[in-house]
Amino acid sequence: MSALWPLAGIALALLGVAAPFGGNAYATGIAFQVAMWIALAQSWSMLSATTGYISLGHAVFYGIGGYVAVLMVDAAPFPAVMLVAALAPAVFAAVVGLPVLRVRGPYFVILTYGLAELVRHVVMRIESALGSFGRMIFSAPSPDALLWWMVGLAVAATLGAWAVRHSRFGAGLAAIREDEIAAETLGVPTARLKLLALIASATIPGAVGALAMMRTGYFEPGQAFDPVVSFTIVTMALVGGTDSVRGPILGAIGFALLSEALWSNFPQLYMIVLGAALIGFVLFVPQGLSGVLDRKGGRA
Amino acid sequence: MKRPNSLAGLALTALMTLASTGAELAADPIRIGYSIARTGIFAAAAPSQENPYLLWQDQVNASGGLELPGGEKRPVEFVSYDDQSNPANTVRIYERLITQDKVDLLAAPWGTPMHLALAPVLQRYKFPMVGNTAASVQLRKVAPGYIWFTTSAIPDSMGTEMAAMLKANGMTSVAVLANELPYAQEFRSFLLPALKEAGIEVLVDQSYPPDAKDMTSMLVEVKGKAPDAVLALTYPADAFLFTGQARELGIAAPFVLSLIGPTIDAYRKAFGPGANGIVSSAHWSGQADAWPRGKAFFDAYVAKFGEEPDALDSAVTWMSMEILQQAVAKAGLDREKLREAISTGTFETINGEVTFEGVQNTRTPTGFVQIQDGKIELVWPPAIATAEFAPKQGW
Repeated sequence: MSALWPLAGIALALLGVAAPFGGNAYATGIAFQVAMWIALAQSWSMLSATTGYISLGHAVFYGIGGYVAVLMVDAAPFPAVMLVAALAPAVFAAVVGLPVLRVRGPYFVILTYGLAELVRHVVMRIESALGSFGRMIFSAPSPDALLWWMVGLAVAATLGAWAVRHSRFGAGLAAIREDEIAAETLGVPTARLKLLALIASATIPGAVGALAMMRTGYFEPGQAFDPVVSFTIVTMALVGGTDSVRGPILGAIGFALLSEALWSNFPQLYMIVLGAALIGFVLFVPQGLSGVLDRKGGRA
Repeated sequence: MKRPNSLAGLALTALMTLASTGAELAADPIRIGYSIARTGIFAAAAPSQENPYLLWQDQVNASGGLELPGGEKRPVEFVSYDDQSNPANTVRIYERLITQDKVDLLAAPWGTPMHLALAPVLQRYKFPMVGNTAASVQLRKVAPGYIWFTTSAIPDSMGTEMAAMLKANGMTSVAVLANELPYAQEFRSFLLPALKEAGIEVLVDQSYPPDAKDMTSMLVEVKGKAPDAVLALTYPADAFLFTGQARELGIAAPFVLSLIGPTIDAYRKAFGPGANGIVSSAHWSGQADAWPRGKAFFDAYVAKFGEEPDALDSAVTWMSMEILQQAVAKAGLDREKLREAISTGTFETINGEVTFEGVQNTRTPTGFVQIQDGKIELVWPPAIATAEFAPKQGW
């Protein structure tokens, strides 16, 4: 039951958003955003919620996937583009993982952020050296097709996050979160588990980035590697709660709809209102939406 | 168990209802949508674009409204959102404006990235929009377009004209510092070959990130090489950084270009006499007698906002609205007719007559301005110049 409902939740939420306005581009746009943030937040939780290694640099995986996809999309079939977009950040994670995961706590947070910024500037340099001045994407699939790809990724990420949490692998990651040194002493292969978690956590964001670039129809490194993506993921985890698989779903839906409602109704003030709402959330609902539901359902 | 879903649905329904009620109440005016960078790295430039929109609205409404074929006039109303300087948001905003807010017309967002991201959206919905604060040779790939560039500051002709201007003024060596944003890089890519052809030596060629906070090391190198001309391919935010630090270091070149930024009124206020001699990109000046509509615009703008219009962004923004207004008077609000009217028409603007070939305004000459005694003077090309180029005398 607890395994099924997150999936049912995603499907219902997206249907709820898209169905009444079938074919409406604006509703499709919102559903796309919600699915995108679910996929990103779930992926992030595979590393950060399980191990407690808080990544503030997930934009790097999103950006790498987006960049690879933009380079390929005019020349390769779309499923192949998506596959490479998912694999590229996984390979990147595998390469940088071991050194990066040696540091902990706040140092890890800063390092992930710094790494993402580094890659952003490197890609900017590459692009200007290639004589590219922002790339227009002419062969992107339709917004509806992109939406269904994104829903697929949201479901896959949720399944993945659920599987991680309910496996020996997840138990090992939880042991790292609780006391890494003790876990290592007891024979948990911490370095390997952390690396696998990072790779798992990097894959889907790459594919998400690819879809996001296709949706925008334009690529520019500053936007593809926008640190705001990383911040938003962490914010959503905060709003939703990180104690279960449904936390990121609730966070993504709650935050995306809230910011949409504020953005469209208070165009001049919405950043201020959003900021105030987030502060309120941190102060009064520290356990996240998921925690509130647990209490109401008597399941705390 | 289903609570969160029904909650989400409820929130959305409420949101939709709110939005649609808004639309019904405002059925009478002609609604024009745009997004603008109120926050983010382009925010410094937004007022020079949004102010002309507001001034235009004032003037149109004061004259009874926007004229449709047959002489009917309807008031205009703007619907605008902040795109946070992010092209992905621009795309979503225009989709919303078109499909949800169902605006009658569109005005342009600020900046080349936003225009480029919008081109496919406009194409998809077959919604014409007269662009303003953007230019790129890339848009020529989209044909036939629903977007047009009002500016003649297209990077390829800019490169040629800049090299010609440098040569005409006896400059033999340059340093190029380029923002990594697309427009600056595109200009650089056309500038370098043009310089080579003109026999001008490039002593420094460096690029820097759009959110740069310090340019000292680059400028120290420039100072060491002492080129005749320093060509800083800036955006508004880093134009302030560049000028401040070049002044501190006492860069002594007689020719200093800062690509975008110096034509904003605040720039001259910030640097006072230090801004004198700076060359920048624009093809219009409020000082020009050649365009009578220009003086009227200049005066009305100063009267309303207490500062001068940006000779580049405010001017092209105003031109885009003049073009839209004249096209609507001829073709009405039907999008295909409007597209036809914009593509084929000749328009009276503050910068003289404008006609489009493809996406490009081919009538307005590509030019450069220079700040002289706190005024924006057109110094290039000679045919439309309001003053002669004067070498920069210190800061």
